[in-house]
Amino acid sequence: MIDSYNYAFLDEGSKREIRRSILKAVAIPGYQVPFGSRELPIGRGWGTGGIQLTLSLIGPGDTLKVIDQGSDDSVNAVNIKKFVKMCTDVPCTIHTKDATIIQTRHRIPEVPMTNEQILVLQVPIPEPLRIVEPQEEVTKKMHAEMDYAPIWLQLYESLIKYGKITIGSEYPCMVEDRYIMNPSPIPKFDNPKLHNSQCLYLFGAGREKKIYAIPPHTKVVSLAFDDIPFEREDFAGKRCRLCGSTDTYLDEIFDSNTGERYYQCSDTSYCKEVRSR
Amino acid sequence: MKQLHTFDEVYDSQKVFRKILDVMANPGRVCDIQEESDKLFGEHKEFLALSMTLLDNSVSFATFGDRELDEQIILLTHARPEEPSKADFLFLYDQGQVEEAIRTAKCGTLENPHSSATILYKIQEEEAKRMAALSGPGVDGILEEPLCGQIVEAVKIRDGQGYEYPAGIDFLFLLPRGRLIGIPRLTKMEET
Repeated sequence: MIDSYNYAFLDEGSKREIRRSILKAVAIPGYQVPFGSRELPIGRGWGTGGIQLTLSLIGPGDTLKVIDQGSDDSVNAVNIKKFVKMCTDVPCTIHTKDATIIQTRHRIPEVPMTNEQILVLQVPIPEPLRIVEPQEEVTKKMHAEMDYAPIWLQLYESLIKYGKITIGSEYPCMVEDRYIMNPSPIPKFDNPKLHNSQCLYLFGAGREKKIYAIPPHTKVVSLAFDDIPFEREDFAGKRCRLCGSTDTYLDEIFDSNTGERYYQCSDTSYCKEVRSR
Repeated sequence: MKQLHTFDEVYDSQKVFRKILDVMANPGRVCDIQEESDKLFGEHKEFLALSMTLLDNSVSFATFGDRELDEQIILLTHARPEEPSKADFLFLYDQGQVEEAIRTAKCGTLENPHSSATILYKIQEEEAKRMAALSGPGVDGILEEPLCGQIVEAVKIRDGQGYEYPAGIDFLFLLPRGRLIGIPRLTKMEET
């Protein structure tokens, strides 16, 4: 830990503002609370929203885990861990069950989270209506009036055009029957984990300056039509080439030399744990 | 130089914040901030611990006429005293002022529900407990637990305001011995 920085890098005024925004976000699940996103020694778009949340939460009693697309060892995860360790004294872990705060990009861990844990998600585009309406002023009004017809229309058009809803990640969901929310670019496979979960989910968008939250045991329903139910990615018949799991989210790896396709768990620490059993 | 308090702005604030977050994310749960608030001074040191965690010069507060508490909060946080109808945080300990506080507190708008007030209500002597069923986000199904009479009454007054969600106000209750309970705006309460 470098003592010349304030503990957890941010000045206390910045932490207080972010903490107030977190509390409002928890009180109004799914609502995007604006906040004064701070400059960090990392470019915006590289997880600055998640980092600011983590730095405002973290204290000496915590254990941190950072993952990027399920991996503990990817560039984004490693650098965020180095940065947090540089300005705090918290230990880092790769084991989901040992962490009190987990910062993640694009995945929710396979190991079920507990009520004592907080999952911080990095969000590039927090506004689920951005795809149908470019103006922030208008989307804010649409949320206020629960005017969500355009996003339903977008799903319907996708059905008509392609015969199925083609959104791969960032699949929108309805929180407590009030707000449509972007769950960040997690795969559809992870969307059901948001519903009635044990842990607190915090979402931070540094570039877009928004914080939102899903408290434990909150109703989160992925958008679907009565006759066209929500569908997750289907891995039927496939298994992880390393641990043999058939119930996890699998990455597809293509070997251009042999033309073979392999599948392996996206959550690397879970995969290691299964192999070590 | 005289030391006013030993509350650490970095580490104690972080601990208190995590407890506030815990009670707001899990309505009905009780967390204890006595260890941190004992590092402050005066009759309302729990209020001061919460103030040092959440308030600064970019937010406003109201104390309903307690000049001494006003001065202490300004001294520690530089927050602005404001009329109750415009304040971001309302500090309350007199049972006789609860109804007025809830009626006047700003509840935000449908576009900006985060611009609502948070009421910090310190209950000095707990009235007889009443069984209440809590439900909503943060509660696993229905949580039946005994809550002191003042909490039940305050939540009933709030519910009687008929706010259109997402507008509303959030409660942080301070019970004797530094115990903290959060009842955010979406938490439903029914007396059983």
